[in-house]
Amino acid sequence: MRVNPNPMPDLLAALNQDQLAVQQASMEIASGRTVNVPSDNPVAAALLVENNDEATFNNGYLQSLTVIQGQLSTADSALGSAVTALQRASTLGIEGANGTLSDSDRASIANELQGIQSELVSLANTSYEGRYLFGGTITTIPPFVLNGGSPSGVYYVGNNGINKVSVGGGYTLAVNQPGSQLFSAQGNDVFLALNNLILALQSNVGIGDAVGALNAASSYFSAQRVFYGNAMNQAESQTTYLNAAKLQISQQENTLSAADLAQAATNLSQSQLDTQATLAAISKFTQNNLFDYLK
Amino acid sequence: MSGLYGTLSIALSALATSQQALETTSNNVANANTEGYSRERVVLEPGAPVTFGSLSLGTGVVLDKIESLRDPILEIQLNQETQQQSRLDAELQQLQQIQTAFSSATSGIGADITNFFNSLQQLSPDPSNLALRQAVLTAAGNLATDFNAAANNLATQRSNLNQTVVQDVGEVNTLTAEIANLSRQISILQNLHEDASPLVDQQTSLIRQLSGLVDVQVIPTDQGISLMTSNGTALVSGIQSFALSTQIASDGTQHVMSGTRDITGSLMGGSLAGTIHIRDQEIPGVLNQLDQLAAGFSNAINAANAEGYILSDSEPPTLGGNIFTTPPVGVTGAAAAMQVAITDPTLIAASSDGTPGSNGNLANLSAVHDQAVANGQTPLDFYSNLVFQVGSTTSNTSADADAASQILQQLNDQRGSVSGVSLDEEAANMVQYQTAYQASARVVSTVDALLADAVNLGIDTAVQ
Repeated sequence: MRVNPNPMPDLLAALNQDQLAVQQASMEIASGRTVNVPSDNPVAAALLVENNDEATFNNGYLQSLTVIQGQLSTADSALGSAVTALQRASTLGIEGANGTLSDSDRASIANELQGIQSELVSLANTSYEGRYLFGGTITTIPPFVLNGGSPSGVYYVGNNGINKVSVGGGYTLAVNQPGSQLFSAQGNDVFLALNNLILALQSNVGIGDAVGALNAASSYFSAQRVFYGNAMNQAESQTTYLNAAKLQISQQENTLSAADLAQAATNLSQSQLDTQATLAAISKFTQNNLFDYLK
Repeated sequence: MSGLYGTLSIALSALATSQQALETTSNNVANANTEGYSRERVVLEPGAPVTFGSLSLGTGVVLDKIESLRDPILEIQLNQETQQQSRLDAELQQLQQIQTAFSSATSGIGADITNFFNSLQQLSPDPSNLALRQAVLTAAGNLATDFNAAANNLATQRSNLNQTVVQDVGEVNTLTAEIANLSRQISILQNLHEDASPLVDQQTSLIRQLSGLVDVQVIPTDQGISLMTSNGTALVSGIQSFALSTQIASDGTQHVMSGTRDITGSLMGGSLAGTIHIRDQEIPGVLNQLDQLAAGFSNAINAANAEGYILSDSEPPTLGGNIFTTPPVGVTGAAAAMQVAITDPTLIAASSDGTPGSNGNLANLSAVHDQAVANGQTPLDFYSNLVFQVGSTTSNTSADADAASQILQQLNDQRGSVSGVSLDEEAANMVQYQTAYQASARVVSTVDALLADAVNLGIDTAVQ
């Protein structure tokens, strides 16, 4: 069969192929990725969209958990101080129940208890970054207001709202206990118990019962504090989980799109070699024909 | 005729044909790089013999014809494959442009959707925080802007393709007119029994160019050739060409008309078919999906925002309004029109009970992430599916275009092996015809000497 006398278009097409391969390999090395446009690998390109979502949310949940943990630990330490204050109040109450005390001794104990009362109010009005932590979802005003007109000596102006925050893995975490369930819990109201003790000391009637009621309310209060301990533990373990997942998500991303740099570098030098070979073939092609040999 | 003059005449015929053959060789060499040129060769025949009694004497050589070497079947295959390849190339070029909007997983619409929901997540532990609320509006704005940009780029690309259709139709008309004109010239030359090969080459080359634009079939007829598209639209019939025209349809696209017949949708090959396919199928398809997503997303977010209360001290609390402008009815144009409806960050309805610290309704807003908003799919599933579609259409078209260009290359090789000019071959021919010429010239000079001898017969000549 007669040979195509003009292989130049073939050679140029081959050169084009070689140069494309060089470009592809260079692009992989430069970007470190095998998927630079969806057509490089349509399935991986689609999965990368989901992967980016997972990665972004993983970081987002971690960020939320940092905020939540700050809030939880502030609330927990305020409650810890409140427990200590209540223990002091109980000790003072037992002291006040001693029948040998004079009226003025009891009055001064009652005074001291009033000091504890306002300390407790200020603890119940603890805020974190401008948000009051024990007002339910009414976070912009102090939830407890001292008021002599109230049987408990305070008014609660918060609500019963509880906020929940997603923290990943379909898991939500309740991040607050309203003051109405902590300080002013029905039947175990520490403010009411404290105020009753103050009144009992002032009137010298039923001090022992009042101390008993305060102790009961205090131990209920302490039990409620467990909520924050649990929430902090959960936040902690979720943070650990998310940090592990982070690694997994980035490994998945690598599997989907990371270039094998050693392979890409080999491809690059191979395709550069091919290009040179094709160029050499092109330059040789036109050199000789029969006309050169005719004299 | 016989005798010395007979011999002389034979030698002269050989001189003439050798010269003719050299001329053909020279012409081949001259056109070695002419696109579409088919090499020619001389076909020689012995002159009609004369008979004397039982003797039959040769009368030299005559030039029967100069023939062009081309394979008509191969030319048809080349036309078909050119149509295929041009269509795929035109599509591929446009698809590559379309897919740039979907290239990055960490930016663009997909990432914007993720970032929007993440901004809601960040607001969740601290729902009255104005900076975090502002971040939600900023994320919403980025999403709307990227939807707008993607839709506008597609619209621009589409209107550019509309121009391409008009230009391509103009080019088709120029080519068909030239082809018909060449048919006329070829038939004139053929009637005069003259060599029309160069014109046939030229016409073949123009048909190849035309194949780059539309799917033409070449049908040989009594008056030369007819050209027809595969849907039966006549472009050239003999020496007459039929121009196509364009007409703006109600949707603003340029339609291709043959007379009053709309052939826009029935073109199968050539770049014009590719351009129309992208303009009328691919781009509207992608645009429609973007519209569905933009509309579904806006509606779902607006509905969720309307379930909660804005950040305010008013009594009773105020329900949330639209975060995004209401998408157009029937979704068309939703992506291009998508906009954030509010600038005041307090209007995000995070609260489920009207209190500023409640984040209850953020859960409803965040839930849209996993809600079916378009075609039964969540926003990101819908989007990543679109990325897959665009990517796989592009990569399939790219593979098809590669295959077509390889087939075309092989066919061109075959054509070259039949019709291409080989300089080695021409050099060999040149030597051959030169030798023939020299030999015939030698015969002439010998006859000349013999004639001189005959004229001087009987006269003493000095013998040196």
